[in-house]
Amino acid sequence: MSSDVRFTDFKSDKQPTWCPGCGDFGTMNGMMKALAETGNDPDNTFVVAGIGCSGKIGTYMHSYALHGVHGRALPVGTGVKMARPDIEVMVAGGDGDGYSIGAGHFVHAVRRNVDMSYVVMDNRIYGLTKGQASPTSRSDFETSTTPEGPKQPPVNPLALALASGASFIAQSFASDALRHQEIVQEAIEHDGFGFVNVFSPCVTFNDVDTYDYFRENLVDLQEEDHDPNDYEAAKEVITSSDKEYQGVMYKDENSVPYHEQHGVTEDMSEIPDGAPEDAMDLVREFY
Amino acid sequence: MAEDLNWAIGGEAGDGIDSTGKIFAQALSRAGRHVFTSKDFASRIRGGYTAYKIRTSVDRVQSVVDRLDILVALTQRTIDENLDELHEGSAVIYDGERSWEADIPDEMTAVDVPLKSLAEEAGGAIMRNIVALGAACKITGFDVEYLDEALEKRFGGKGSKIVENNKEAARLGQEYVEENYDLEHLGYNVDVTDNDYVLLNGNEAIGMGAIAAGCRFYAGYPITPATSIMEYLTGRIEDYGGHVVQAEDELSAINMALGAARSGARSMTATSGAGIDLMTETFGLVATSETPLVITDVQRSGPSTGMPTKQEQGDLNMALYGGHGEVPRFVLTPTSIDECFWKTIEAFNLAEKYQTPVFLVSDLAMSVTEQTFEPETFDMDAVEIDRGKLVDEDEVDEWLDAQGHFRAHAVTEDGVSPRAIPGTTDAAHMSTGLEHDELGRRTEEEDERVQQVDKRYRKVETAQNEENWDYREFGDEDAENLIISWGSNEGALVEALGYLEDDGIDVRVISVPYIFPRPDLSDDIEAAEEVIVVECNATGQFADLIEHDVLTRVKRINKYTGVRFKADELAEQITEQLSEEVPA
Repeated sequence: MSSDVRFTDFKSDKQPTWCPGCGDFGTMNGMMKALAETGNDPDNTFVVAGIGCSGKIGTYMHSYALHGVHGRALPVGTGVKMARPDIEVMVAGGDGDGYSIGAGHFVHAVRRNVDMSYVVMDNRIYGLTKGQASPTSRSDFETSTTPEGPKQPPVNPLALALASGASFIAQSFASDALRHQEIVQEAIEHDGFGFVNVFSPCVTFNDVDTYDYFRENLVDLQEEDHDPNDYEAAKEVITSSDKEYQGVMYKDENSVPYHEQHGVTEDMSEIPDGAPEDAMDLVREFY
Repeated sequence: MAEDLNWAIGGEAGDGIDSTGKIFAQALSRAGRHVFTSKDFASRIRGGYTAYKIRTSVDRVQSVVDRLDILVALTQRTIDENLDELHEGSAVIYDGERSWEADIPDEMTAVDVPLKSLAEEAGGAIMRNIVALGAACKITGFDVEYLDEALEKRFGGKGSKIVENNKEAARLGQEYVEENYDLEHLGYNVDVTDNDYVLLNGNEAIGMGAIAAGCRFYAGYPITPATSIMEYLTGRIEDYGGHVVQAEDELSAINMALGAARSGARSMTATSGAGIDLMTETFGLVATSETPLVITDVQRSGPSTGMPTKQEQGDLNMALYGGHGEVPRFVLTPTSIDECFWKTIEAFNLAEKYQTPVFLVSDLAMSVTEQTFEPETFDMDAVEIDRGKLVDEDEVDEWLDAQGHFRAHAVTEDGVSPRAIPGTTDAAHMSTGLEHDELGRRTEEEDERVQQVDKRYRKVETAQNEENWDYREFGDEDAENLIISWGSNEGALVEALGYLEDDGIDVRVISVPYIFPRPDLSDDIEAAEEVIVVECNATGQFADLIEHDVLTRVKRINKYTGVRFKADELAEQITEQLSEEVPA
């Protein structure tokens, strides 16, 4: 880890194909700045991305990265972290990727408390497939596949995380660059699963959950005297349906990450030239 | 084969059938006798017929046969299920004190032992199976001391009291038979030798091979019959700095293994049946991102949930063709328990050398069968590790483009690109399941697409030339009758040779441990008069491949009852097939 890393070192020379004004620009910039600010460099960072507009992030960032299959980014990140506790792992996804097809993996990555940060670009719509309802779309949100609205309540990812035993739950807004960066930074620094749901507006297909909507309705928990170590207070904030919050909702200061709980400390890429020295013991066991 | 002894214990699942069988198998192995076990079990936890069979001999045994000499029957169904295999000289041990009256044919020796009462006398009814083992020792003249040793190994961890009680139970069973029966006329001769064998099953051999090969990360989801690989690795792989994750599903398992593999760890996942279907989603990603990964499929009877505890070799087409699009892969099919060990090691080397997924395809029969081997069969000094083009910091420069980007998917002559793992300075790069350029970035450029597809397939060509895609051969190499097989049928075939020889039929057996790439058998087939392909599936998936390769019709022996081939049964079927016309 070199100290002279700039956030632009995490930038690739590929021009993003996101729509002009997409929230993902701001989300990604914050991620890059947070990585640089926390002392990481591209050579010791692994970014895993899912599918969708959010999944393109691996292409626009520069680090070790894998762009996987839809909804399975978290298991990949888990594998990376377990094999290489020395590597900084960041997983990026979208609301469809993370809370629909990948919802099962989300619950389990959360409860395992794998030491990685998970940044979800939540625009409450399917963008890359051109405007269908997502699991976080409002129940009356009219789309091509839900002309009268989904008629089912949206998933509350923060509540899902809390119920799954999360050790770090936060929410940010792509347009509030500084706060977003600070929150992602805190997620990176957290010992365990650092979950950040980012409001990342889709300017093309979502005319409800817009920049203006969030600017007008977003309440920063910093200004509310919220204590993230207070589980009950976190529950209150997370389940409140009349306000949209940004900030760190919950943080377990006693969090012990999965690999530490399981005594994994070694870099698993290092193996002997032949069988391990005492490998004949494995055979003797069968006498 | 007079030296053989075929013993079985049968009852309901939950009766401790499996552990009793294992204890006896270990006792026989410790006595320097060869052992081959087979299990018959239903997909339920309690109740339902279940049996554990042991064939033992001073010579190597590698198949089951249609013969049972000593049967410990805990239920009438055990007798009924095995009636065909019992013969005049068979002895059936049962507990006449229990509430069932054993219906044992007159020509067999019924040995009524109060198993439960004697077990209670020794300290608890739970040991009734051990009483039966003691009785079996007396009938066969097998020294009960070896049983004592096996009991010590089995129960040593539970304290000396438990061990002593079990030994007492065995002794009571032995004494009861001695006092109440005169069984010398049964004439079984269970010789002991001073050999020191190891006794293990195919899944244990795969797990052991994985650790030996440097596998450090395993993720899986419980499924019969693959689970015991995960159970073996859990609690052992940690000693070597590794870790096992029980994932939430197979999709997660293969993706975790993929993540670990991309970060440089030798990784594996194993599953069966429906689990392989789920993993197929990620299979193409593994191949396209050129990640070295070993995917083990322990085949069971399908399709859908099929018969989860029964034998079949029905996944060959899946291993060859599974997944959308066209992706290179290697498919290895160990043919015996010892080969499960060696092919696992080879699978890891091939995966890293060619940066490609390797299917290791085993089957249920091998996974649950225990067999004795000389310990040197698993010679750890002979294990070689080849990590392929894994580049370190000093070699990175050679693979940078003009802008200083690492060419992780560089188009090379042999199709293999350099591989840099996280932490390698200046080699940071992305990989993706999307078609990509040399840097791993998405492309739909026609030329680049063709280059990458060709490059990936060139790896197979290179491997075809550089690796040894050989087969194993048995029998008379000049025989005009050629039998071809893959997977676990080998043992039964090798033993069938003995029966065929007795009938004056010469046969050459080719057992193929590689399905893709596979050895070219055209010359062998051309030289043969008769060709029969033997496999445990209904349609003859391997026979189809052979016909495709050589453009010649072959005969087929297919078994899809859920039960593995038996040596004597196979000999009979081969004889029958040889007298028939080649199908039009």
